[in-house]
Amino acid sequence: MAERRAEVTWTGDLASGSGTIERVGSGAFGPLDVSWAARTEEESGGKTSPEELIAAAHASCFSMALSSGLAKAGTPPERLETSATVTFVPGSGITKSALTVRAVVPGLDEAAFREAAEAARVNCPVSQALAAVPEITLDAQLDA
Amino acid sequence: MPRIERIASISWEGNAARGTGLMTAGAGAFTELPFSIPSRIAVQQGKTSPEELLAAAHGGCLTTSIASELTKIGTPPERLDVSARIIMDEVPGQGHLVVGSEIDIDARVPGASPEAFDAAVAAADASCPFSILLRASASVTVRARLTAT
Repeated sequence: MAERRAEVTWTGDLASGSGTIERVGSGAFGPLDVSWAARTEEESGGKTSPEELIAAAHASCFSMALSSGLAKAGTPPERLETSATVTFVPGSGITKSALTVRAVVPGLDEAAFREAAEAARVNCPVSQALAAVPEITLDAQLDA
Repeated sequence: MPRIERIASISWEGNAARGTGLMTAGAGAFTELPFSIPSRIAVQQGKTSPEELLAAAHGGCLTTSIASELTKIGTPPERLDVSARIIMDEVPGQGHLVVGSEIDIDARVPGASPEAFDAAVAAADASCPFSILLRASASVTVRARLTAT
């Protein structure tokens, strides 16, 4: 079992108040500022948001699951470039996470790569934790 | 309602066991945070992991929901101190899964009665988008207490 921890503080009301992700257990990042405006306005002004952190969690989880699957099949990746775009609709919630991956995988054809990528999309722990999100899409391509 | 998109990018090199990745936020709030399999399931050694990011996301999400609910009832918080913990476990036949999220909150809320505060926390947990998602597959536990102002 693995536990991972984060600490957040908030001061003031929702619209004009602000928060800080003070620290995380690993010490890898923090403090990071968060606010409602950063979460819901077009421009986030350099501040992060829960949805951005979910995007980072999803993209990193998918990358690890894909590298694991490719290595098990005997074709470990040389490089994976992944992005996740998480859509938040205030009032409706988190409606979509769109994964894209561009990969350099010596010795693998496109069809086998897409199959491995689809398996990672379905099975990675963050995808499973996000199973209630209406749409989780994947655009996977091998680079020559 | 507007659709808001938030983006993160990852680069990964090598296989799962020995490879490492770097993650960068679209907003530029963090860049090239390293992560790896050991940082995820063993000693973290200063590296982050998907589950640590989920802990930060859930803590941030519920915090804004509580601020919103307390503001609605006319008692905006002076300060909320929130600790979030994501628990991943190996489930037989299913591999590693996120099985729980535990959140502890210390709140300074001038003018809020304990009953009104508890009701606001329950309403926030019921409306926080990430609590709703996690509850579909994991247990979500929220413990909140008012501290003296």
